[in-house]
Amino acid sequence: MAAAGLCGADFSDLREIKKQLLSVAARSRERGLQHSGKWASELAFALEPLPLSELPPPPALTEEDARDLDAYTLAKSYFDLKEYDRAAYFLRGCKSQKAYFLYMYSRYLSGEKKKDDETVDSLGPLEKGQVKNEALRELRVELSKKHKARELDGFGLYLYGVVLRKLDLVKEAIDVFVEAAHVLPLHWGAWLELCNLITDKEMLKFLSLPDTWMKEFFLAHIYTELQLIEEALQKYQSLIDAGFSKSTYIISQIAVAYHNIRDIDKALSIFNELRKQDPYRIENMDTFSNLLYVRSMKPELSYLAHNLCEIDKYRVETCCVIGNYYSLRSQHEKAALYFQRALKLNPRYLGAWTLMGHEYMEMKNTSAAIQAYRHAIEVNKRDYRAWYGLGQTYEILKMPFYCLYYYRRAHQLRPNDSRMLVALGECYEKLNQLVEAKKCYWRAYAVGDVEKMALVKLAKLHEQLNESEQAAQCYIKYIQDIYSCGEIVEHLEVSTAFRYLAQYYFKCKLWDEASACAQKCCAFNDTREEGKALLRQILQLRNQGETSSTEIAAPFFLPASLSANSTPTRRVSPLNLSSVTP
Amino acid sequence: MASVHESLYFNPMMTNGVVHANVFGIKDWVTPYKMALLVLLSELGRSGSQLGLLERRRLNRLLLPLLQGPDMPLSRLRKAIEESCPHLASSVHIRLKLMAEGELKDMEQFFDDLSDSFSGTEPEVHKTSVVGLFLRHMILAYNKLSFSQVYKLYTALQQYFQNDEKKSGIDENDMELTNTEEQEGKMEKEELDAPLSREEEISCSGPLSQKQAEYFLSQQASLLKNDETKALTPASLQKELNNLLKFNPDFAEAHYLSYLNSLRVQDVFSSTHSLLHYFDRLILTGAESKSNGDEGYGRSLRYAALNLAALHCRFGHYQQAELALQEAIRIAQESNDHVCLQHCLSWLYILEQKIFDSCVLLEHSVNKSLHFGLPYLASLGIQSLVQRRAFAGKAANKLMDALKDSDLLHWKHSLSELIDISIAQKTAIWRLYGRSTMALQQAQTLLSMNSLEAVNVGVQQNNTESFAVVLCHLAELHAEQGYFAAASEILKHLKERFPPNSQHAQLWMLFDQKIQFERAMNDGRYHIADSLVAGITALSSIEGVYRKAIVLKAQNQMSEAHKLLQKLLIHCQKIKNTEMVISVLLSIAELYWRSSCHTIALPVLLQALALSREYSLQYLASETVLNLAFSQLILGIPEQALNILHMAIEPVLAHGAVLDKGCAMFLVAKCQVASAASYAQQKKIEALESAILNLNEAKTYFAKVDCKEQLRDVLYFQARLFHTLGKTQERNKCAMLFRQLHQELPAHGVPLINAFK
Repeated sequence: MAAAGLCGADFSDLREIKKQLLSVAARSRERGLQHSGKWASELAFALEPLPLSELPPPPALTEEDARDLDAYTLAKSYFDLKEYDRAAYFLRGCKSQKAYFLYMYSRYLSGEKKKDDETVDSLGPLEKGQVKNEALRELRVELSKKHKARELDGFGLYLYGVVLRKLDLVKEAIDVFVEAAHVLPLHWGAWLELCNLITDKEMLKFLSLPDTWMKEFFLAHIYTELQLIEEALQKYQSLIDAGFSKSTYIISQIAVAYHNIRDIDKALSIFNELRKQDPYRIENMDTFSNLLYVRSMKPELSYLAHNLCEIDKYRVETCCVIGNYYSLRSQHEKAALYFQRALKLNPRYLGAWTLMGHEYMEMKNTSAAIQAYRHAIEVNKRDYRAWYGLGQTYEILKMPFYCLYYYRRAHQLRPNDSRMLVALGECYEKLNQLVEAKKCYWRAYAVGDVEKMALVKLAKLHEQLNESEQAAQCYIKYIQDIYSCGEIVEHLEVSTAFRYLAQYYFKCKLWDEASACAQKCCAFNDTREEGKALLRQILQLRNQGETSSTEIAAPFFLPASLSANSTPTRRVSPLNLSSVTP
Repeated sequence: MASVHESLYFNPMMTNGVVHANVFGIKDWVTPYKMALLVLLSELGRSGSQLGLLERRRLNRLLLPLLQGPDMPLSRLRKAIEESCPHLASSVHIRLKLMAEGELKDMEQFFDDLSDSFSGTEPEVHKTSVVGLFLRHMILAYNKLSFSQVYKLYTALQQYFQNDEKKSGIDENDMELTNTEEQEGKMEKEELDAPLSREEEISCSGPLSQKQAEYFLSQQASLLKNDETKALTPASLQKELNNLLKFNPDFAEAHYLSYLNSLRVQDVFSSTHSLLHYFDRLILTGAESKSNGDEGYGRSLRYAALNLAALHCRFGHYQQAELALQEAIRIAQESNDHVCLQHCLSWLYILEQKIFDSCVLLEHSVNKSLHFGLPYLASLGIQSLVQRRAFAGKAANKLMDALKDSDLLHWKHSLSELIDISIAQKTAIWRLYGRSTMALQQAQTLLSMNSLEAVNVGVQQNNTESFAVVLCHLAELHAEQGYFAAASEILKHLKERFPPNSQHAQLWMLFDQKIQFERAMNDGRYHIADSLVAGITALSSIEGVYRKAIVLKAQNQMSEAHKLLQKLLIHCQKIKNTEMVISVLLSIAELYWRSSCHTIALPVLLQALALSREYSLQYLASETVLNLAFSQLILGIPEQALNILHMAIEPVLAHGAVLDKGCAMFLVAKCQVASAASYAQQKKIEALESAILNLNEAKTYFAKVDCKEQLRDVLYFQARLFHTLGKTQERNKCAMLFRQLHQELPAHGVPLINAFK
């Protein structure tokens, strides 16, 4: 096979890459590895078509292949019909690599299928957890013998890795997947499995990966998984520049990346683009629906839901989109129903557990919500939304101290997400731990506040503690923030900010600033009267001041006026909460 | 990708988003072991009439634990039956063999026949008897099985039987947990086992059945509470728990045990994690059990917050604990849960105690707990109230009364744990009051008492804190009486029962060092005593400072000792540690008279006397009197000194340490001699002779504790007296002994006659 791909991130010869992709797609399909085949074909589709002369020849048949050809052909058709045991039966004793792989793979899939079937009629609740794929251990023994004898090709190694992973032998699995990637770098499945097993950046650093162009795709993917969005976007951009601009895979990945950093507008526009290019695509549409949900775009979401439902209503993603749709329409029971359906279709579909938790929260069914979130955490301990949701649940149950733990967990997983910080701050505020609360709010502001509420809350805290100078500074920053955004969102707190500032300047006898703020106050309904009253007072006092002409110097240094675009001067201090963070 | 098949997965146990671990509400499932029991029962029914009376009785006694206990392998079951009736065992075995080696229809036939035992005009089994219920449960459970489940059951039975056959060749002795492996034995085929890595073996050690898991958890939990050393080590227990949870993630109790286990190793992170996980799970199960009067999961919420408070308190995060407690109290108040509120109140008391002491809360808590019928909480409150009151110097008879009342409560509700605590408390209080005989008696009472707990009937004692306390006191009491060998024997025992890294080890460590310190001081090996100070300080800072001052005093570094003692005095007065205050005052007085400032020492001593009288610390009081008498002697009023000595000598001889007895007798002799100076010749001789007798007694006491310095002083004094009386021979003997000792010991800084101690 065209084993070693091109060296490094060398994308100069796209034709060669296309040839490799086409050949690996065919080989994957021959072995029943549908998803890897699909991935390779998708990518190949994004490249220029090849002239007839350059099309890769069908893989040459060896002597062994020829001998096993009949058995293989028969078994492959059984395999395609999901009759795995039957396929395995006819493949036993086959020596060729292809047939051997299909033999082992059928046995593996048959074991998995039986496992799932048996879960339904186990002999008791305790047996539920103990149902396992009986074939795994036998497969492992056989594969490890072959592995030792170095008789496994890239696909065989991949299967061996999968078996190891299923047996929870993570370390060995990683080694085998790395080996598989070295032997057959073009097989995307091995890379993808590797992605699932690598939990942090450190682990990634210590892997010795083959130096091919596939590595770039892998790195981009894992950066997205590990929430290293900047790096991921960079990688994807360079891939696009290299000539994969038409690849729907890359486009969808970029959209997901933007979704992860909550750049909603960009993500939305990319998803729309993706829908245009690939209108019958169902993958990733759950993410798209999340975005539509966040933006409350009801008609778009409704259109998407109907469209997907027409394409295939028994897909996890479809159920998820419909769930989101109902949730947006505040029909939470129906939403929960659809998330449940998604889970029935695939219980390992993590997002649905969390979303279902949210729905139960909306329905005030806290115990069900807690269970849903706990399930989500069990599937993936790093699911910050589930931790956050648990925190919210306990907050609703009025247990602010209890929920601290959960928010802290969420914060650990997303140290730069302001929502967790604001939530933490609110809890501390409820517990009257104002110092901690201030730290949280300040930090939330410093890492880029999404909801723009941290500063107001911080200001109010300062107000409570009679730290008027800091309070004023916070309000000033808040107003700057709001106005620099450009869009004038209906922000309730803007009037509060102006009112406070007006009072504050008034107290400091800075008449000009005070009257400016008071005038701003007049623009809002709830503070209009106060603003006018203040203006009158200022006028009065000014007249007196002119007669006495003893101007008192401002007691504090104040950051210029409102128009000045001074950036916050306080440095971001490390969030050093006094409490332990278990 | 490999996850195609996952779409086939369907979870039937989920309704309305909640996964029910127990779909049909049935706890009983037919397992191979249960089938073996059924076979046994049917055999019993068939051949019951032929069995002898004795055999039948033995079998009946065997049945109940078999029915209720965890599943066990066939070999063990057979052994159990064989012990009561070998004939029956073989017939059970044969029937099982027939069924396992036969066909599926044999099993089906067996279950069909089972229900026959109820029918007929005179049924073999009564429907509502224990056996009848079991049979009906089993028949019901069997009938509910689907086709494939029946087949699975049959294969499981075959395996169960085959495993036994296989195992009968192999010796089997480690049965506790390993036996479960056999139940999933199919994959244990030898050829598969060869390349297993170690990790995998752990992960494959197999699931436990519900009852087995429950039994395992309750056993380990009770061991953790009563006798930590017998429980599994933290690491292996955690491993077992992880295994348990892996196969059965819904088993919430395992999380709680894991929390307890993490507490053992002081792991704040994983213990918090486990605790919260447990309550997250509990909330779910709690929601179902609305029937028992509580309003669902709200209850577990309160206790969740309360437990969190307890956790933080245990790790010394008092501020956090207070916040959590406030939360628990608020929720409990909102839902009118008085019982929970009481628990909160007692915890609040514990927290407050850490910050500032007040008994008001506690009294309140005791009253309320009695009102709500929480005897455990109430008497725990009484115990700590008594403790506080004893320190605060309340009347002893009232305290003893209160303890008696709480004892009544304990015996009534058979709270064996609290009985132990109460006795340990009494031992400590008697010692505080300086009544060593009473303390000794109480300590022996506890040690020779049998445990009331049903869990470990065979075990005489538990390794709880009360036992540690009592044993420590016992060791010290023996050391005081000069039985150092016995004391070290007790300490050795303590070391074995409470290994150094266990919870209560600090107690005996402190006592051990204190006893060593006293010995070193008696021997005059001050450098050794000094080296022990660091160890004592690590365990108890106040005690450490005090001991340091004593060493300094003994080494004649008066000003340093004085400075240290003054500081300690202020500190102890602040924290209201009266016992230590009096000890410090005594040491200060001693410093004064060592520097020949007897007049300054007097008011200090009087203060100490007043304090010890007020707090009825009799032992310290008599020691103060001795000091006072000595000062009076030196100030030239030996008659007065003799007078007050008569007051103190009795308690000292009755309860005091040997060393103090010696000192007291020595002092009496000195006073006698001093007051004899003014007597007529005849009377004087009598007085001197009685003084010699007293000195002899003092000598024996000092010899007991190996106090050479004091011995030397006594000998010197005795020699002088003999000299005055003109008994040359005796005088020479004393002088020789004195000479021997004097050569051994370094020169004394203080004039011989002036020293009282």
